[in-house]
Amino acid sequence: MEINVLVVDDSSVMRAMISKTMGLSGLPLGKIYQAANGQEGLEVLSGHWIDLIIVDINMPVMNGEEMIDRVRANPELKDISIIIISTEGSDARIDRLRRKGAAFIHKPFTPETIRDTVKDIMNLGGSDAGTD
Amino acid sequence: MRERIDHILSRVTEAIFEKLAFMFSFPEEGFEPEIEPSAAEPPVVTEVFFEGPFSGRLVMSLSPRLLPELAGNMLGADDNEATTPDQRYDALKELINVVCGNLLPEIAGKQAIFNVGTPKIIEPEGAAPAAEETLLGDTALLVEDEKCELRLYGIGGIPDRFFQTDSGADASDAF
Repeated sequence: MEINVLVVDDSSVMRAMISKTMGLSGLPLGKIYQAANGQEGLEVLSGHWIDLIIVDINMPVMNGEEMIDRVRANPELKDISIIIISTEGSDARIDRLRRKGAAFIHKPFTPETIRDTVKDIMNLGGSDAGTD
Repeated sequence: MRERIDHILSRVTEAIFEKLAFMFSFPEEGFEPEIEPSAAEPPVVTEVFFEGPFSGRLVMSLSPRLLPELAGNMLGADDNEATTPDQRYDALKELINVVCGNLLPEIAGKQAIFNVGTPKIIEPEGAAPAAEETLLGDTALLVEDEKCELRLYGIGGIPDRFFQTDSGADASDAF
């Protein structure tokens, strides 16, 4: 199984960092798509098969939380695995995001954290780390 | 109160430089804030506004000589000089975004909810406080032997409860 990934972040540098980290992770990757906000992310989702969404929260046009809500409300998309990578520091807000069925990784992150969180959320096995 | 915020600002920024960009920094001895930018080599200045239990602005001023290494390290580039100006500014904006996101819970605790705005590159004169702003904390670091200054401004005051000795204590070991 190859994993098609959508990386949604308004920072082109962060998108590149995440994409490069994914490429070095040893995970079975297919294509990595990028979008600069939630609206662009939804447009990518409408035209491509995506297995995993990695999304920031604070973005212009459409933030990550609204994008997640729209994905979960769409019968064709609602089961896609989602990982939030954000600087968010509020426990209450992080808990709310997790209740939407998303894993959470705090910035700054390590490559190992991303790899292990992807393995965990996609049941790929071999993970020994949490999702915080 | 000022000393506590200065210390947090310095510690968080040092940690983010190291973890995000693999760049090592140290507090600059005898730091005196330079509100007036140097005409010889103006710093690159970025700012980000935030709202929450208290509101304000975080400003970072640093030497433009740091930008190629900052962007190159974040991107994993083989040649730092090959990074574009847009990539360098984007790297700086992401840096202050991560610093701000990690700084605020350290000051106000992990239960506090803040909304952090979109970072912007501004003119060097914009590092000075606006009329409605109060300086809450500042620090200066030497990053790879280049200067980096940070200032945290409050708008409309900051509740005293955030300056209790146990405020944010849970997060203080994160770095």
